[in-house]
Amino acid sequence: MTDLIVAVLRSATPLIYVTMAGVIAQRAGIWHLGLEGLMIIGAAATIIGIVLTGSLLVALLVAAVFCVLASVLLWFAIERLKANPIIAGLGLTGLGIGGSTLAAQSIFGSQASISAPFGLPQLGESFGPFAALSVLVAAMPVTVVVMWFLLRRTRFGLQLAACGEHPFAARSAGVSPPRMRLVALGIGGLLAAAGGAELAAGGLQIFAQNMTAGRGFMAFAAVVFGAAHPIGSALAALFFSVVSALGIRAQLLFGNAVPPDLLLALPYLATVFGVWLSGRLRGGAAIPSAFGELRDY
Amino acid sequence: MNANLIAVIRALIFIVFALVLCGIIFEFAGYSSLDMFQSIVDGAFLRPGGLAQSLRWAIPLFITAVGVGLSFRCGFFNIGAQGQFYLGAVAATVMATSLNGWPALIVVPASFAAGIAGGALWALWPGLLKLRSGTDETITTLMGNFIANLLLVYVTTGPLKDPSGSGQQSSSRPLAAAYRISNSLGLSPTIIVIAVVVGLLMWLLINRTAFGVVASLAGRNPVMVRWQGAKVWRLGIASFLISGALAGLAGTVEVFGPNGRLVGGFLPTHGFTAILIALVANLSVGGTAVGALFFGGLASAALYLPIMAGLPSAAIDIINAAIALFITARSSHIDRLIGGLIGRARKTP
Repeated sequence: MTDLIVAVLRSATPLIYVTMAGVIAQRAGIWHLGLEGLMIIGAAATIIGIVLTGSLLVALLVAAVFCVLASVLLWFAIERLKANPIIAGLGLTGLGIGGSTLAAQSIFGSQASISAPFGLPQLGESFGPFAALSVLVAAMPVTVVVMWFLLRRTRFGLQLAACGEHPFAARSAGVSPPRMRLVALGIGGLLAAAGGAELAAGGLQIFAQNMTAGRGFMAFAAVVFGAAHPIGSALAALFFSVVSALGIRAQLLFGNAVPPDLLLALPYLATVFGVWLSGRLRGGAAIPSAFGELRDY
Repeated sequence: MNANLIAVIRALIFIVFALVLCGIIFEFAGYSSLDMFQSIVDGAFLRPGGLAQSLRWAIPLFITAVGVGLSFRCGFFNIGAQGQFYLGAVAATVMATSLNGWPALIVVPASFAAGIAGGALWALWPGLLKLRSGTDETITTLMGNFIANLLLVYVTTGPLKDPSGSGQQSSSRPLAAAYRISNSLGLSPTIIVIAVVVGLLMWLLINRTAFGVVASLAGRNPVMVRWQGAKVWRLGIASFLISGALAGLAGTVEVFGPNGRLVGGFLPTHGFTAILIALVANLSVGGTAVGALFFGGLASAALYLPIMAGLPSAAIDIINAAIALFITARSSHIDRLIGGLIGRARKTP
């Protein structure tokens, strides 16, 4: 049981950081499908940074800078050029996957994976069975609570929600929706960098091509399933991680009765069900999309 | 005409914009961007047989993209082409496997019908959810892509697995040679005829029928179309079914043509590229054909780069992604710039 909890915490932590990035963007009215790309940029920059500079601090700084830059690029495309956020976000994801592969190949040749000599600091012996988990795992619940406080209990959070739900009202109150969206995407970039760093340097200390393997999209599903509430979405991400951990152990637990691949589809099915249900309950889509276009102000 | 010209020029400007961004990324990653673009053009069009290979990649993309274009035209943001493509391939393979041994004249049409139906059904449930409950089709079709991918992994590692298969890639048993509609190069008269027939029928449907006119109107102003008494419900279901059917057809063509078997996780960016083509083409059928050739060329270059030029094929993913980042941009500044360039200011709506 303890090892299952450790496994779930290990797989949930990167997912929850990236989910928080999606939550803050969603509250600003942006459908963030670039999460997958930001996450892999964070993962690649952390490992490549550690190998090239030998310093964890520099590596994390590089990851943060690249993720924020990529977020600003997305902001420029959707805010200044009025591109469709869904298509542009998918484009950012492609840029992240392609760019990280390209960078890894040009620096290290065509290797399957790059391993770093060390990763994030671990919690240590005093944490008993959780000793091998990284400090970012311990920081994760704090981050979720801080995000909840920031988005639900501060002036900034309410202004951000206003920009997402009724940008015209926000502008009338003297808040600039473009600037708030930029801030939201920037904070999202930092959170996604943390998620990518934890994924790559938290346990395995390697970067492999396409190693995020759809986690960014699962984080987006968690944002939708949790109705963009920080704690709800974090719980959704945790639930998805439990399902994934069970998927890996399905054959041990159920024999061949439940195919593991179909169990892994459960988060996506749950999201479809959640969107359908919230649409029924509220008599409309929970998060009205209009193709994910930003609202005018 | 003027508006069309502006749309074309704007698409070209954003493609140039995207290529400049790619050049910066290539230089930053330590490659010469001139070499890279030169090799891509070589791989796509200039090398011997390059154009034929580009056409091979363009045809399935064209078939899927025409369907995506119809769905967008009706105002439904069906981004599930990838899943519908996979479901079509799976359904066709299941049919071919269960009829194995029968004459090709029965097996091939039955499998194509199964593939088309599989793709259409995978588009039907998001369509029904959208039209009956208002469930957002962007989320349902996106989630449908991931479910379909897991389903494909399941059937190629489970029920349809080739027991003699070696290596890491899971796949179904190869189809009998008699059932194949092309060799592994993927170009045959049959495939070209399928693409031409699809193109002609879709052109007629969009430009020469009442359905096409109402569909285009519904995309721009659904409220008005409803007030005029058009059955938006039927229109919506039809657009979901047709776009799904075409994606399923493209999946079937891949299995019965170049692949000759169902491979786990094959062509993972097919649906995404098809969406890009539909958008670059501004949803027109003729434009989709040109766009498919361009992106088909890139797909062909992706195979050529690592082998012949020693450059990573990720470069092609980056070009596609950069185009995606900018292609839907509709900056009024840039419109005004174009309007000034062609000597006639664009009327403000």
